[in-house]
Amino acid sequence: MRTPSPRALAWHRRGVAFAAGWREFAKQKSGLVGLGLLVVIVLLAVLAPVITDRTGLDVTKATGDRLEAPSGEFWLGTDRPGRSVLLLTLWSARVSLSVGLIATLLSVAIGTIIGILAAHFGRWVSAGLMRITDFFLVLPSLVLAIALSTVLERGMGTIILAIGLTSWPAAARLVRAQTLTIEARPYIERAKALGGGHLHVITKHVLPAVLPLVFVNTTLAVGSAIVAESTLSFLGLGDPDPMRPSWGSMLRSAWLDSAIIAGAWWYLLPPGIAIGVVVLAFTMCGRALEAVLNPRLREG
Amino acid sequence: MPLLELRDLSVHYRNRAVEAVRNVSLTLEAGETLGLAGESGCGKSTLAMSVLRLLPTTAKIDGQILLDGEDVATMKWGRLRAVRWTSAAIVFQGAMHALNPVRRIRDQIAEPIELHSKTELSAAALRTRVDELLGQVELPPEKGDSYPHELSGGQKQRVMIAMALACEPRLVIADEPTTALDVIVQAQVLALMADLVAKKDIGLVMISHDLAVLASTCQRLAVMYQGSLVEEGPSASVIASPKHVHTKTLAAAFPTVGDPESRYAPATSSRLPDETPSPGEVLLRTSDLRVTFRTRGVTHAVAGVDLDVRRGEIVALVGQSGSGKTTLARTILGLQQSTGGQVLYDGRPVPRSSKGLKAYRREVQLVLQDPTSALNPRHSVYESIAEGLRIHRVPGDERAQVAAALDAAELRPPEEFMPLLPHQLSGGQRQRVVIAGALALEPKLLVADEPVASLDASVRGEILALLLRLRANLGLAALVITHDLGLAWNIADRVAVMYQGELVEVGPVDEVLNDPQHSYTQSLLAALPSTHPKESDAVNGR
Amino acid sequence: MTDILNPTEEVLAEAPPPTRGGGAVRYVLTKIGGALLSFAMVIVLGFLLFRALPGDPVQTMTRGRPATPEMMARLEHKLGLDLPLWQQFWKYLGGLLHGDMGDSYFYNVPVLQKIGERLWPTVLLVGVSTVIAVALGLWLGTRSGWRRGSRFDRVSTGVALTLWSTPTFWLGMLLMAATTGLFPTAGIVYTDTPDDFFSQALDIAHHMVLPTITLVAVTYAQYQLVMRSSLIEEAGADYLTTARAKGLRDDVVRRRHAVPNALLPTVTLVFLHLGMVIAGAISVETVFSWPGLGLLTYDALRVGDLPLLQGTFVVLAGAVIFMNTLADFLYRVLDPRVRAS
Repeated sequence: MRTPSPRALAWHRRGVAFAAGWREFAKQKSGLVGLGLLVVIVLLAVLAPVITDRTGLDVTKATGDRLEAPSGEFWLGTDRPGRSVLLLTLWSARVSLSVGLIATLLSVAIGTIIGILAAHFGRWVSAGLMRITDFFLVLPSLVLAIALSTVLERGMGTIILAIGLTSWPAAARLVRAQTLTIEARPYIERAKALGGGHLHVITKHVLPAVLPLVFVNTTLAVGSAIVAESTLSFLGLGDPDPMRPSWGSMLRSAWLDSAIIAGAWWYLLPPGIAIGVVVLAFTMCGRALEAVLNPRLREG
Repeated sequence: MPLLELRDLSVHYRNRAVEAVRNVSLTLEAGETLGLAGESGCGKSTLAMSVLRLLPTTAKIDGQILLDGEDVATMKWGRLRAVRWTSAAIVFQGAMHALNPVRRIRDQIAEPIELHSKTELSAAALRTRVDELLGQVELPPEKGDSYPHELSGGQKQRVMIAMALACEPRLVIADEPTTALDVIVQAQVLALMADLVAKKDIGLVMISHDLAVLASTCQRLAVMYQGSLVEEGPSASVIASPKHVHTKTLAAAFPTVGDPESRYAPATSSRLPDETPSPGEVLLRTSDLRVTFRTRGVTHAVAGVDLDVRRGEIVALVGQSGSGKTTLARTILGLQQSTGGQVLYDGRPVPRSSKGLKAYRREVQLVLQDPTSALNPRHSVYESIAEGLRIHRVPGDERAQVAAALDAAELRPPEEFMPLLPHQLSGGQRQRVVIAGALALEPKLLVADEPVASLDASVRGEILALLLRLRANLGLAALVITHDLGLAWNIADRVAVMYQGELVEVGPVDEVLNDPQHSYTQSLLAALPSTHPKESDAVNGR
Repeated sequence: MTDILNPTEEVLAEAPPPTRGGGAVRYVLTKIGGALLSFAMVIVLGFLLFRALPGDPVQTMTRGRPATPEMMARLEHKLGLDLPLWQQFWKYLGGLLHGDMGDSYFYNVPVLQKIGERLWPTVLLVGVSTVIAVALGLWLGTRSGWRRGSRFDRVSTGVALTLWSTPTFWLGMLLMAATTGLFPTAGIVYTDTPDDFFSQALDIAHHMVLPTITLVAVTYAQYQLVMRSSLIEEAGADYLTTARAKGLRDDVVRRRHAVPNALLPTVTLVFLHLGMVIAGAISVETVFSWPGLGLLTYDALRVGDLPLLQGTFVVLAGAVIFMNTLADFLYRVLDPRVRAS
């Protein structure tokens, strides 16, 4: 009998490991709840153009009165120009989620590369990179993001850049610490003694061991990125196009339109709750993943 | 009334299927010393911790633990806290972690005294008491103001002993008190402990995996195996005529240096090569090799070493931690840059370019101390062994080559081992995988850094026998780095003794170990724990 | 080599323990040097961000206002933008050395003077909030980490995570809406408050309630979660078993042994997260019109006042670097191991 090839075996093993990881994840109620919420919200955001009509976002074609309270027609009332708050909240999810995701991917990618390089190559490279990382880590990132988005042309791209370029140091430090731990393991010494070069050590040993952590970190960081997006938009640095609202820019309008004094709670609550729920969902997922991938936290 | 009596004690961890301790009954009279031996995972540490009920909450205790006639298992918390450290104290293994890193030694020793003292102690009285305790373990009072990281391993272990004596307990439990220490320091700490226990008439339970250590300090020996007590009796008779199979393995694992029976004959159940082949011409030579570190002052880790390894020869490089032996090995492999001298392989200097080094590393392979961490936990046995083949793009059928390497390392049948992950293997099997990974590249020389130091006694002999067979069958040369003179006696042709970066004595094993010329080699040999209790006292001169 | 046979101390076996003292001065100098280097980087970054990036400063500053080409040229000349980049940098650097960061375009006063006016309200708000948040976070984190999985742990961690997920400005707006009439919602002091110290202080405290609650709510969670996880990391440590074996009560083991060790990583993070507190302060000051540096930053970006923005950037970043250098010194006091190396 010929046994299956090692590659097939490796894939089979990964499948088994994934199944075991999923069972462990499923044991954590909060993780499941978070994942469920995310699936629903992402589906709603993706399907927004199918289930709603985008023209409702156009200020000139608004059908409702100014600051109308919730009713059968407008479930969550209207804003000052008379647009449906429900429609706005739904469409805002698209911008907030995509900015959060893309900015996080950007920052995690930068962080991972810098972290691995700083840990793998000693001396000068490491000292220089860590100096820069620590500098950016300490720097108040919102102030830097404000500066960046003030100077550059306003829009989604700028906001993504501003968040992505200012939030990578945490990931870099984390990845560096993990890489250092891995590189201190004797099997790295063994790989080098076998004749393996930098590329071999990084791709075969370091990356596979670091990626789960990076994944957890990404999940947790999306939440922060969404909050950062809302803050920048709230301060007026978001996309100026009213057809592309985000939860942050909705709250900015609510604030500028004195929704608090008008008692228009329906204008104030939905975007804020949406941010809170999405961020919490990402955080719950991330923490559950962390517990699966970091056995030390799981015990007890 | 005995000092400590265990009656039918069983400990069961909720998340584990097998009982950690099974129906153990033991008695210890006041002032008596008992050695508890066993391999890792046999339940000896669980037993020790159960005496003061220090087990995690997942553990369930059955049976009785009578300390001075009082059952610890059913004590109320308040009473238990009062008993802890006053009736029995523990010297924990790994003093590095057992001391709080951010508090001064003095405060940590004083803490239990303050806590358990019936009367209010003045600061001066407390200070005097701590100084006195430090004096008893031969540490100057100034050391009390140090933090743990400022002390050496032996000093920390002394602090642990001083701490254990703080409340003048009648029972001291020492859990592997000397495991991480070097031979000479180990001998000092053991002698100190034996001395204090005898002087103060303290009952001692000492736990170790090393029968020789126990036999040299304890009157009686108890051997544990898979949670059960398999043998108990006076030390001398347990060592001389072990009854249980497991005791025999443990006793045979650490050979007596100088005993001709164990020369070229590590304890193994497998067949050893019939004859010792004679070595060929010089394969590896270091000439005046130097490595100097310049962090925090200048350290000459390797200070001018000349060492030869011939084809088919096994050379043991012996020295204590910090002697520079591991640095020497790393330099030979090109993992560490030398600062002077050179390494010659097959008559040519070892290249420094990464390409030249790569070719050299096919010929010279490394076997590391701890096989558990030397294998990537995510890689299967197959992938770990094929790693070297892939790095060097060795032509041919990869699967057949891996199978051959596994076969050479005596992991048979190879097909069954290929898909396994390291955690599915035993310690000995893992070390065989590491060796197989090295063999796959068909090297001429193995550099093995403490290849059996982290393995259980019963596996040790098997791995050493494998090295002997590999030499006989494949003509493989080996440079074995070790702190263990017994290992050199078991397998090596020649021995090189390293001390503070220099080789102080090099020569055939029989000559050097039977008739050491250099005073350092002599003191190393003298510090070996002896299985005959009386001799050890004479050796340590206390 | 004659004393080898009589090893009284373990000189043979082990390297001598590291010596103490002498390292302190070097440590302090290294850290100060590092801080100065970081500050130099802030200054360079402050220049590059506002001058060398592909945006047009003049356009940014006149965004949304009608401006003739002559006005724009005059502005360009006033800002020195018509000079080559390296000359601009020398001018900027020379100005900084004399304590001159240019004039605010909007307020028409020197940037540093404006920042000086707005500094103290921020120090007051951020200082008070951070002290409260750290105390609260450490206390909750210690309690929940020591009894992991208890009801207290689950509830307090859940609350912390929820508050942490909430945008600062939104929480501020909610508080404002929920407590209408109870607390002032804008400014630092009423103009008609009597001039005596007591009335002034009371009025400022009254104004501070809502901003402080908001800032504490969004920042304490970090401290709690970090303290909780570092205590959990320490929970399995051997020295805790030693402490228990000595007969210490559980709460003494926690207070005397576990917490001092768990505090070390927490202290580092408390200071590393100061940048986040600054971010919170900008949002809070904006929502509550608290006349500090945060509001100044917001006003500067609202009107496109680049010199002012540059000034707040340099000052805020410099302040955080300064605080982190203090943290390094504090860490050295707390951890004897750092003291030795």
